Amino acid sequence: MTTTTLTIPRIFDRPKSESGIWSWIGTVDHKRIGTLYGITAFIWFLVGGLEALLIRAQLAQADSEIISPETYNQLFTMHGTTMVFLVVMPMSAAFFNWFVPLQIGARDVAFPRMNALSYWLFLFGGILLNVGWFTGDSPNGGWFGYAPNSGITFNTGSGMTFWAIGLSVLGIASIAAGLNFIVTIFNMRAPGMSLFKMPVFTWMTLVTSILLVLAIPVIGVALIQIGTDRLYGTNFYNSLNGGDPVLWQHMFWLFGHPEVYILILPAMGIVSEVLPTFSRKPLFGYSFVIFSGIGIAFLGWFVWSHHMFTVGLGPAATSAFAISTMAIAIPTGVKILNWMATMVRGSIQINTPMLFSISFIAMFTIGGLSGVMHASAPSDAQQQDTYFVVAHFHYVLFGGALMAIFSGIYYWWPKMTGYMLNDRIGIGVWFLMLLGFNLQFAPMHWLGMDGMPRRIYTYSSDQGWESLNALASLGGLVLAIGILAFLFNVWYSRRNRIVAGDDPWNARTLEWSIPSPPPHYNFAEIPEVQYRDDFWYQKYPELLEHEDGHAPAPAGGQEDEAAHESHDEHDEHDGHGGIHLPDMSYYPFLAAAGVTLGMGGLMAGVWVIVLGSVIGMWGIMGWSLEPVNDPDPDVEH
Amino acid sequence: MAQQAITEYHAEANDPTYNTSTGLSNRKLLMWAFLASDVMFFGTFIATYLVYRNRSLVGPYPEDVLDIPITTVSTFVLLMSSLAMVLALHYVREGSKGPGRLWIGVTAFLGIVFLIFQVIEFQTFVNEGLTPRTNLFGTTFFILTGIHGTHVTIGVVWLLFLLYGHFKGTLRSDNALDLEIAGLYWHFVDIVWIVIFTIVYLVTAKDGAPPGAPPFIHHG
Amino acid sequence: MLSNLLPRFSRRNLLLLLVPAAVALIAGCATDNPQSTFDTAGPVAEDQANLFKLIFWIAVVVFVLVEGGIIWITLKYRRRSENEMPVQTHGNTKLELTWTFIPTLIIIAIAIPTVIAIWDLAEPPSDEPVMTVEAVGHQWWFEFRYPEEEIVTANELRVPVGKNVVVKLHSQDVIHSFWVPKLFGKVDMVPTRENELWFRADEPGVFFGQCAEFCGVAHALMRFRVIAEPEDDYEEWVAGMRRPPVSPTDGAQRGQTLFAANCSSCHSIDGHRAGTYQGEIALQDGRWDGWLADIENSRIVSAPNLTHFGTRLTLGAGIRDLDRQTLIDWIDDPGSIKPETRMQDHGALYQTSDKTANLSAEEVADIADYLLSLVPGEADAPPATGGGGTGGGDPVEIGRTAFAANCAACHNITSDTLVGPGLAGIGDRAGSTVSGLTAEDYIRQSIVEPGAFVVDGFGPVMPSFAWLSGDELNGLVAYLKTLN
Repeated sequence: MTTTTLTIPRIFDRPKSESGIWSWIGTVDHKRIGTLYGITAFIWFLVGGLEALLIRAQLAQADSEIISPETYNQLFTMHGTTMVFLVVMPMSAAFFNWFVPLQIGARDVAFPRMNALSYWLFLFGGILLNVGWFTGDSPNGGWFGYAPNSGITFNTGSGMTFWAIGLSVLGIASIAAGLNFIVTIFNMRAPGMSLFKMPVFTWMTLVTSILLVLAIPVIGVALIQIGTDRLYGTNFYNSLNGGDPVLWQHMFWLFGHPEVYILILPAMGIVSEVLPTFSRKPLFGYSFVIFSGIGIAFLGWFVWSHHMFTVGLGPAATSAFAISTMAIAIPTGVKILNWMATMVRGSIQINTPMLFSISFIAMFTIGGLSGVMHASAPSDAQQQDTYFVVAHFHYVLFGGALMAIFSGIYYWWPKMTGYMLNDRIGIGVWFLMLLGFNLQFAPMHWLGMDGMPRRIYTYSSDQGWESLNALASLGGLVLAIGILAFLFNVWYSRRNRIVAGDDPWNARTLEWSIPSPPPHYNFAEIPEVQYRDDFWYQKYPELLEHEDGHAPAPAGGQEDEAAHESHDEHDEHDGHGGIHLPDMSYYPFLAAAGVTLGMGGLMAGVWVIVLGSVIGMWGIMGWSLEPVNDPDPDVEH
Repeated sequence: MAQQAITEYHAEANDPTYNTSTGLSNRKLLMWAFLASDVMFFGTFIATYLVYRNRSLVGPYPEDVLDIPITTVSTFVLLMSSLAMVLALHYVREGSKGPGRLWIGVTAFLGIVFLIFQVIEFQTFVNEGLTPRTNLFGTTFFILTGIHGTHVTIGVVWLLFLLYGHFKGTLRSDNALDLEIAGLYWHFVDIVWIVIFTIVYLVTAKDGAPPGAPPFIHHG
Repeated sequence: MLSNLLPRFSRRNLLLLLVPAAVALIAGCATDNPQSTFDTAGPVAEDQANLFKLIFWIAVVVFVLVEGGIIWITLKYRRRSENEMPVQTHGNTKLELTWTFIPTLIIIAIAIPTVIAIWDLAEPPSDEPVMTVEAVGHQWWFEFRYPEEEIVTANELRVPVGKNVVVKLHSQDVIHSFWVPKLFGKVDMVPTRENELWFRADEPGVFFGQCAEFCGVAHALMRFRVIAEPEDDYEEWVAGMRRPPVSPTDGAQRGQTLFAANCSSCHSIDGHRAGTYQGEIALQDGRWDGWLADIENSRIVSAPNLTHFGTRLTLGAGIRDLDRQTLIDWIDDPGSIKPETRMQDHGALYQTSDKTANLSAEEVADIADYLLSLVPGEADAPPATGGGGTGGGDPVEIGRTAFAANCAACHNITSDTLVGPGLAGIGDRAGSTVSGLTAEDYIRQSIVEPGAFVVDGFGPVMPSFAWLSGDELNGLVAYLKTLN
């Protein structure tokens, strides 16, 4: 192995410990990083949920004065920002990190240290976004930050500047993670696993990653622009000097609509793993599901202006965007029918992950149907910015994305921890969440059609919205109890451990072929893949004979064989014969801390920028000069 | 079996026997994907510039400040740096120490010259009354070209590190991939400049005061 | 397992349950709710509701099929024994193409009426007469301008029943959205842009409107009314807006003076006077520019025109019914009704430690009485004094009257500073303030183009009064020169 003669002075030794806080700070193991993502995102989920509860408390009755208008505006701004950027995205990232390498038979992601960097940036960016709760000046311009209401003229506090900077840090994290998973999925598949033998979850990760890499720069630019407007007095969105508020909307939604698919495609991937497993049947129409996922991601770039039907685009543009938006219903419908067909004639095991996945289809369908109502622009003129829209996207993002994420948590928990989550309590959690969710959000359809606008901190009794709001708030309470029940389930299941074993669900994909929890190196031997759902056919080779024409893509294809052969050859080349895993490193943490401090310093002052730059440069220099593995026999397993 | 634990390090080593599913090195694929991301980044800034074309409420307007001949020279300098980059990669791959070193140095030097041109240009504009706060043209012009300048700066620093590594012997013909990836970035930044030059300095250079806005009068 | 807990629904029972649920869904919306989008009162809202209903019923069918299907499949194919192994179906291309094709047909069936409606609703029918009004969004109230009738009013838009109304939408600050659910779906009011919508009220009534785009702290309290009246009533209202108010008496009379001193630099009440329309718009722009020039210290903000305020139904942008006590509360402490109004944050009257009006309770009540007294006088009553443009008379007297009406809110004729500098001795100073300008030219230019010479220590907040009549300008100059 080549070693570099360049070193910079180490202040800390390279981390080696296997436990304790330093082992987490220095970790580059995709599973540990996945765990960090998951726990952090869940904490933000509780924070965002608390914000939602406060909103519901305020709206439970007319003319309520529980929360001041300013605080209310901060709450809904941070609820939206938190749930999108700090909960659903990183929850998906937790699953990407944990299961993409396992599903494709790899020992880690392509760039383990960059992976750690993504996590730390996510953590610090999230903290930056929430600094305002302690300074009393939280972001208050809405998660969509419409200019000029978010500009310095009409919003003089520091909140929206922290918002712009915090989201920029999160954006860097997302782009880095997206790049990492694109390379991982293209380059690190086990021999024989051609693209069309990959599990659907991995596929959806790939599509999501491509969306991230292409969409985040757009919001990044918009954030830089509003940030320089606020900090340095540029004119991008300063309407007094000719800046165009509608340009911000185009930028935000050109990012924002692909973002919607960034949130929902991983959920679709999770469901596409859970439904076949508990139906004991392959996914119906694998390629239809994959291509409709790609189709949704592609069409997602041509629909953004449906968020702007009331802005005054003119009838020609409105018609075009109405039609393109409706077109998305087609691949989405295909997916829903394929999932249902997967269950038809299956052997459906009814348990917590399955119930969550089934609920995903049911709730997502409702969100999809109300989505078509928005796509029809004249109809949308009455719905835009009302509680009907709030109902719609919560059916998509809670009923859809979060139901699938909970399905994923219950499904993969035994693999991640080695023990099962209690199924009886789990079904209770599912019931409370589904009930609470529908109680909370179904009435919002009525409220919207009865003319209740979004983002209002109060309403009068003469507007006629009291009883439905009270019902929605009650639903929120039930939902919150459901979340508490989930925490109880975790606590209970940890105390009363039921060991899971390698494959508790009789599942189909490679992650179930290794121990639970998986060893540090994942696969003692890198598997060689012959079929889609290879692990399933290893367990049931006799099923291969019952194939019905839609073969599970048997081995073959020159690419696979070539990869296979060179792989063998390569093994022989390996002098050690051991497993090399990247060593731990503090530098991603340092680099992320430096970047965050440097960017936060734009608000705090030049010395913080200098400090951040020094730490950041130290991290990046150390990183680029530090070998992935120290040439030390100790690292071999 | 072991080598499937693919890491950055293995890719850096440029081991010829090293394999990925696509056959492309991880880091090269990373750079290509990053450049796709960067295309969206610059594309959005350029789109902003074009959307705000002829929408400044006060001067100076492009025709009042832009100096095409001088920028043509700096553009030529940057183009030549790409040529130098090609030569540098060629010689480093070949293992020719002297020419390799020379052309890496020339590439970085030309990048620095371009940056000096940009700094002088910015100063001139500020003296003539155009800052990022003056009007929409100032805002979009400075941020767009400034972000590009930042990219060039990062490229120059990267090249200087590689040059140092070449002296120290950590950049050799067997890991010329390091330089190749830096080269991908460098050529991309160069291409972006061609687009910016075309749009800002050729297409919009003659834009004066839009209808309704006062003409710009030079003071002093 | 849960499957044992579930009652065994037959397929038919399930469907029977879902259909009434769907009917209840749409019936539940058709209440007498004041902002219901179903209880429509005009063609625009009706077309929009009809399109919604079309999609809704298609959605109900899909909903019943999919949700029913999911429940049915889950129950029917649940695992009966641990060892069962279903047939490993991987897909069926024909089937999948079919269910790609069917949604496509449904989407086309929705897209065609959608596109037709988009074009239909874009403009009012070209063969019918229209009236045009302008609506301007402010944080947090609506200004309405009738360019044909030359009326400016706020928060209550009066229109004749059965007439197509085109509303041109602007905003002076952030983005707002203009929406009356029973009459029309919303269109945004975007600064730097002009949008447009049209509607027609087919029945008389008071329709609730509300801002639908988040616009800052008091977004929830930015409401308005559309008052649709029979043509005759509407014409009578227009005629009333042209007549001076009845003369105030007692408290209201005291209130008039207090209003002039404390409120009139932001609020106009003279919209009934001919020729004030352009002036009011210029004043609003001037107030706005002045506010922007020095937001922290500005004591003048753009504010609702209060002409014939006594005829209004509501207060505070449609958030309270107008009555004397509410009005008193509002004048005393607007924040108790609506947080962070610009009136309270910036108005000179509210620069007190607790931000309440710098007036006694009686004075506040007097102002309220005065405002409530502002209703059109009898049609045959003589015009109020100080009518613009009436020639003749002593210029100094005309100037004195014009000063009281237009200037006294900000300028004192002693040397005390109100909003602007005190003007005592201006006649002596004026000639020597700017070299080369006579006293007369200096005063005139300061009125017409106030930005030209701003007195040290004051911001450039004064609007131009170029819209005053020639007599009034001459009078003002003459009057001010007498101040020694």
